[in-house]
Amino acid sequence: MSGYLDWRITDFPFQTDIPTRWGDNDMLGHLNNVVYNRMIETIVVRFTMGPLKIDWKQDPCYPLVVESLCRFHRPLSFPDTITAGLRAGRLGSTSVTYEIALFGQGDDVPASSGHFVHVFIDRDTHKAVSIPDPIRTLIETHA
Amino acid sequence: MALQKPETRDDYRYFLSLQSRWMDNDLYGHVNNVTYYSYFDTVVNYFLIEKGGLDIHKADKIGVVVESHCNYSRSVAYPDLIDCGLRVGHLGNSSVRYEVGIFRNGEPDASAAGYFVHVFVERESNQPVPIPKPVRDALSAITVAASA
Repeated sequence: MSGYLDWRITDFPFQTDIPTRWGDNDMLGHLNNVVYNRMIETIVVRFTMGPLKIDWKQDPCYPLVVESLCRFHRPLSFPDTITAGLRAGRLGSTSVTYEIALFGQGDDVPASSGHFVHVFIDRDTHKAVSIPDPIRTLIETHA
Repeated sequence: MALQKPETRDDYRYFLSLQSRWMDNDLYGHVNNVTYYSYFDTVVNYFLIEKGGLDIHKADKIGVVVESHCNYSRSVAYPDLIDCGLRVGHLGNSSVRYEVGIFRNGEPDASAAGYFVHVFVERESNQPVPIPKPVRDALSAITVAASA
């Protein structure tokens, strides 16, 4: 639970900045918890479309989320711009776990940390399939 | 990924029905994974308001989320009617773990199951405080023996 205190943005080989919007804050004046999860999804999707070169609409298999987790360590608020970091964690035959951290501007340690598990699904059979080798190799370079 | 035994309605103690909305579906035509957390957020706060007397505008002690988690087993999609099942898996001094099941269109098995942890804090200082009694009483009524 406290492991995130050792996490730094430089530990994450893939990063993206995500601006916040007025409507992301809830009535407590902080980003609503759902928005953190949206940011986690955002960096995962950008990673799949960028470094992994996945075409979600065309490839013969595609990633499907089966589990997600988010821990909230410090509140973030509009109008901060969030820097999200991603690295590959556990890599199985058909699934991969991404470790993700969200940093506000000036944060040394993550304001939020979590993970997101993708299973690769065959577009025709809708069954889990082995992660294609080229994608696996690209994932491994982001561990 | 090991398949887990699906949660059923009997596993939950309180239900709130929600009409899914057009914008809940993503490109795949299913409710987007993040939207489930909005369902969690909605059932938990509705319960606190309805059963715990929480005044979300004036309360000086509020619940803040410290952790959320979801396992997605099967998809749901607009225009499904969503039943959110709620129970409390752990009731601490200042924290509570809500466990939520998402059921579509009267189905007996949950399509997704997750949890959501609140710590109650004093709104001004943001310091943890004991859960206020009316809220605690409501939560006790839906607390079940510890689960996985």
